[in-house]
Amino acid sequence: MPDDVPPGPFPGSAAAPARAAGDGLATLSVVIDGTQVHAAPGETLLQAARRAGVTIPTLCHDERLAPTGACRMCLVESSDSRRMVPACRHPVAEGLEVVTDSARVHRHRQSLLSLYAADAPEGVKPGTELDRHMRTYGLEPGLPQVNAPREGRPDDDNKYVLFQPESCILCARCTRYCDEVEAVAAITLAERGSATTIATADNVSLLDSTCELCGGCIDTCPTGALVERKVAHRQDTFPSLKPVRTTCNYCGVGCQFDLQVDPAANQVVRVTSPAPGTTTNDGNLCVKGRFAYGFIGHPERLTEPLIRDASGELVPTDWDTALQRAADLLTGVRDKFGKDTLGFISSSRCTNEENYLVQKLARAAFGTNNCHQCAAT
Amino acid sequence: MKIHRMHDEPRRREEDRLRLLPAFDAAGGLRPGAAKVVSDATGVPEATAYGVASFYHLLARPDVDVRVCTGLSCRMAGADAALSALQRGGAAVEGCACLGQCDRAPAALQTDPGGGGHFTPLQARRSEAAAAGAGQGAEVWTLAPYGAPHLTPDDAELAINLAGADDLSWAALAQARVEGADAVLQKVDDAKLRGRGGAGFPAGFKWRAVARNADRDPVVICNADEGEPGTFKDREVMAQRPHLMLEGMAIAAHAVGASELVIYLRAEFKAPREALLAAIASARAAGHLDGLSVELALGHGAYICGEETALLEALEGRRGMPRHKPPFPTDSGYLGRPTLMNNVETFACIPAIVRRGGAWFAGLGAGDASGTKLYPISGDVARPGVYELPLGASFETLLAAAGGVTGGALLAFSPGGASSGLLPASMADIALDFGPLQEAGSMLGSAGVVVLNDTRDPLAATLTRARFFREESCGQCAPCRVGTQVLVRLLERMQAAVAAGEALSDSDRAALERVSWQMEEGSICGLGQAAPIPVKHLLRWFT
Ligand SMILES: Cc1cc2nc3c(=O)[nH]c(=O)nc-3n(C[C@H](O)[C@H](O)[C@H](O)COP(=O)(O)O)c2cc1C
Ligand code: SF4
Ligand code: SF4
Ligand code: SF4
Ligand code: FES
Repeated sequence: MPDDVPPGPFPGSAAAPARAAGDGLATLSVVIDGTQVHAAPGETLLQAARRAGVTIPTLCHDERLAPTGACRMCLVESSDSRRMVPACRHPVAEGLEVVTDSARVHRHRQSLLSLYAADAPEGVKPGTELDRHMRTYGLEPGLPQVNAPREGRPDDDNKYVLFQPESCILCARCTRYCDEVEAVAAITLAERGSATTIATADNVSLLDSTCELCGGCIDTCPTGALVERKVAHRQDTFPSLKPVRTTCNYCGVGCQFDLQVDPAANQVVRVTSPAPGTTTNDGNLCVKGRFAYGFIGHPERLTEPLIRDASGELVPTDWDTALQRAADLLTGVRDKFGKDTLGFISSSRCTNEENYLVQKLARAAFGTNNCHQCAAT
Repeated sequence: MKIHRMHDEPRRREEDRLRLLPAFDAAGGLRPGAAKVVSDATGVPEATAYGVASFYHLLARPDVDVRVCTGLSCRMAGADAALSALQRGGAAVEGCACLGQCDRAPAALQTDPGGGGHFTPLQARRSEAAAAGAGQGAEVWTLAPYGAPHLTPDDAELAINLAGADDLSWAALAQARVEGADAVLQKVDDAKLRGRGGAGFPAGFKWRAVARNADRDPVVICNADEGEPGTFKDREVMAQRPHLMLEGMAIAAHAVGASELVIYLRAEFKAPREALLAAIASARAAGHLDGLSVELALGHGAYICGEETALLEALEGRRGMPRHKPPFPTDSGYLGRPTLMNNVETFACIPAIVRRGGAWFAGLGAGDASGTKLYPISGDVARPGVYELPLGASFETLLAAAGGVTGGALLAFSPGGASSGLLPASMADIALDFGPLQEAGSMLGSAGVVVLNDTRDPLAATLTRARFFREESCGQCAPCRVGTQVLVRLLERMQAAVAAGEALSDSDRAALERVSWQMEEGSICGLGQAAPIPVKHLLRWFT
C-alpha cells in the first residue's frame, strides 16, 4: 500500500528526494497549486507533485511499472491541455501550471469513484487503496448498480492466489506486475468492454500456468480483488492486523516483509511486502517468503532443544545440556579420527551473521576448512 | 542503493507481435490450446497471446456460424426476429455489432467453411410461404445473397463518383510525380479537404506534419475498418473504386516521403477485400506501385479498432486499446514511426484533387463546405444506399435522393453514426456538415444517416446504441467501461417507467447527467467521450 508509507530513504524511489532541486538533474520548473516545484525532464506530474507534498490519488499507478493512465484517478488540470490529464504519465514541461484542487478535479474524483462503487456489486474491501480514496474524496449520490459479466476462474483451485472478479477495477497492475517485474506473464487482461477480466491462458489454474506463485499481484492490487486464498474469508479484518517488520530467513537475499499479525490470537494471518522503493526487495517477495509462514504457529514446530536418552528417544532438555552434548560428541570425533573428518554445513535459512559464525566454529574451534552453505551452489 | 527496474531497460524478450493475430487466424481462432501454438510460433507469452485474441470477437468465438447484425437499421428491419428464428434452427447464431450493411438490413455474416478469417455477408429474409405453413408466431428466416447497392448515378463532376469507372492509368499519380510533393501538399491544402473518417481533421495539416518527419521512414495507413453504425460508404468505395483509393494512398506516400502502404480492412467486408486484392495485383503489374510495398491487414471484429491509435495497437498485435495522445501518430505511430492515417474516402478524394486542383474540389461543397461527400443512408427510406452530394447538403436533400421516408412520416434521424444521436424531424433542413451539426450538439462523424418514421420509438433506438457502446468499449478506462453500463441501466429503467405510464424520475435524470459528465471528462478516447450524446438528445428532444 505505497500511499501510506513515508518517503523511503533510497534514491530511485519516487518518494525519495533523489531528484529534488539542486541535485543537478532538476532543470525545469512547474507550478503546482500555486507553488513552484523543480523537476527533471522526463519526470511525470505525479512525481513532481509528490515531492512537493501534494497528494494526487492513484489506482493503476505502481512506480515499478510503466504508467498506463487507465484508471483515471489521477486526472488533474494542466495548462497544456484542455482536457484533464493523468498525472501518472503526463510529462512535466517548463512553466506548466498544474491544478489539483479545483472544483472540476474534485467533481471528477467523486464521480469517478461513484462509477467504481456502481461496479462493485459486493461492496468495496475495507482498507484497500480504493476504499481509502472513497473515504477521502467521497461519493456522489448513488448510481444504479451494474452487474458486469466479468468472469473469474471458478475452476482454479490453487491454494495461494484467489481472484475475486466482482471486486476488480481492471487497473491491470497485477498483469503488468507479472509481466514487467516478474517477467512471467502468467495473467492477462482478457475479453473486452463490460466483460473485460483478468485471465490465464485458456483460463487454466495458476498452477498449470507459468505463475511462480510470488503473490506480487496480490500485493499490488489496489482493491483486494486478489487475495491469499487461505485467509480470503477474513479479508474484512485485514485493516485490524498489526504489521511486524522482519527479514525473510529462507535465503540470503534478505527480503524485508511485514508479518500481519492478529493481535488477539497472536497469529500471523498473512505476509505483505513493504512499499516499493523502501527496501532491497522493492516490494517483491517469492513464494517462500509470501506463503511459507505456516510453520510459525505450527503445533509440530520445535521450540526447545531435544537430545536422545539412553533408549534412543528424543527428550526435551535445556540449551546448556544440549550444547554440551554436541560439543562432547564433536570433540570426541575430532580427537579419535582427526579434525578433517568433521564437516560443517549451514542452512540457507541462516542469516549471513549466523553463516559467518558456523565457518568460524569450523575453522577456529575445530581447525577444519570443511564448511559449506547450501546457498553457495 | 539504486533500485534497478525492468522498465528502465529495453525488452530482451524476442517477440514477433506482428504475426500474432494472423497466427490465430491460421490456428482457427481462440480454441483451447491455440494460445500455446501461437505463443510457440511468435514468442509472445501464452497468457498475453490469449488476452489479445480474446479481445477480438471474430477470433474469440470461432464456432459461431452466423452473426446477425443488431444495429439500429437492422433491428428496424426485423433483425431480432431473424436472430431468434435462426437460433431456433439450431445453428450457432449470435447477434453482433453493425456489419456495415445497413442498406441490406437485416444483415448477417456467415463464417466460411474453411474459417481462417473468411466470412460471407448475406441478407436475412423472412420466408412468407414457410411462415404460413409453420403456423402463428414461428417465423422462418433464411439467408440469401443481397442485391446491387443504390448509388448516385455516374457523373464525372463528382469527386469520387462511385458509379464511374476506375482510371487504370493512374494519371493522377503520374501527374503528382511530375509536379512534386510540395505541389501536392499545396493542392490538398487548397482543397480544404477534411478527413472523412469522423473527426473532420484538415488533411493538408496532417500530411504536412508527416512530411516534416520524412527522414524517419514514415508509413501511410488507410483506415478501412468502417464500423460506425449506419456507415457503409468506405465499403462501396473499395468495392466500386478500389484503384481510386489505392492511387490516393500512393500519391500520399509520394507527398510525405513514404514507401510503405498499409490498409487495415475489416474482415467482414468480402467484396471490398476481393476488389482491393485484384486492384493491388493489377496496379503492381502496371508498375504503378513500383517502389511501394502494400500490406492488406485484416481486422478481427472490434469497432474500437477504427479509432486510429487502437488500430495501430491491433496492427502491432495487441489488444485494441486506444493510446494516449500526444504523441500523435504523425510523430510516433505504427512501430513508433511517423504515420499518416486517413480514411478510405479521404484517400479516394485525392486523385480528383490532383487532377482538377484544390480550388475545383473546394468549390464542390455547399456554402462554406468543400468537396462532395458520400452519405450512406438507411432505415425507413425507399432506396437505402450511398449518395454523393455536396458536403453540407441538407438532410432533406439526402432524404429525397434516397426516395423519401417509408412506413409513415419522418420522426427523427441520426445524422452521423452512433454517437451523433437522434435529431427531430423539425431539424430536417440542417446542413449535413461538420460545423452546423456540431453547433446543434450533434456531429457529422462518418455521415452514416439513419431515418426513423413515426412508428419508431426513439428511446428503444437510443437503448440499442447505448448497448452497442457497452459491448464495443475497449474496457480500458472506467468512465467508459462502467459508464456505458450505467447508461444502459438507466435507459432500461426509463423504458420500464414509460411502459408503466410514468416519467423518468428526477433522481435518474440527475444520475444520467452525472454519469455523462464523467464519461465526457474522464474517458481516454472518443468512444467514451461521445457515448452519452444520444442520451442527451433523447432527454432534450424526445421526452
Ligand atoms: C470510436 C471511434 C471509431 C472510429 N472509427 C473509424 C472508422 O471506422 N473509420 C475511420 O476512418 N475512422 C474512424 N475513426 C476516426 C479515426 O480515429 C481517425 O480520426 C481517422 O481514421 C482519420 O482519418 P481522416 O482524417 O481521413 O478522417 C474512429 C474514431 C473513434 C473515436
Ligand atoms: S503470483 Fe506472481 S507469477 Fe503468479 S500470477 Fe501473481 S504476479 Fe504472476
Ligand atoms: S485484480 Fe486487482 S490489480 Fe488486477 S486488475 Fe483487478 S483490481 Fe487491478
Ligand atoms: S473511452 Fe472507452 S473505448 Fe476509449 S479507451 Fe476508454 S474504455 Fe476504451
Ligand atoms: S494512477 Fe494515473 S491513470 Fe491511474
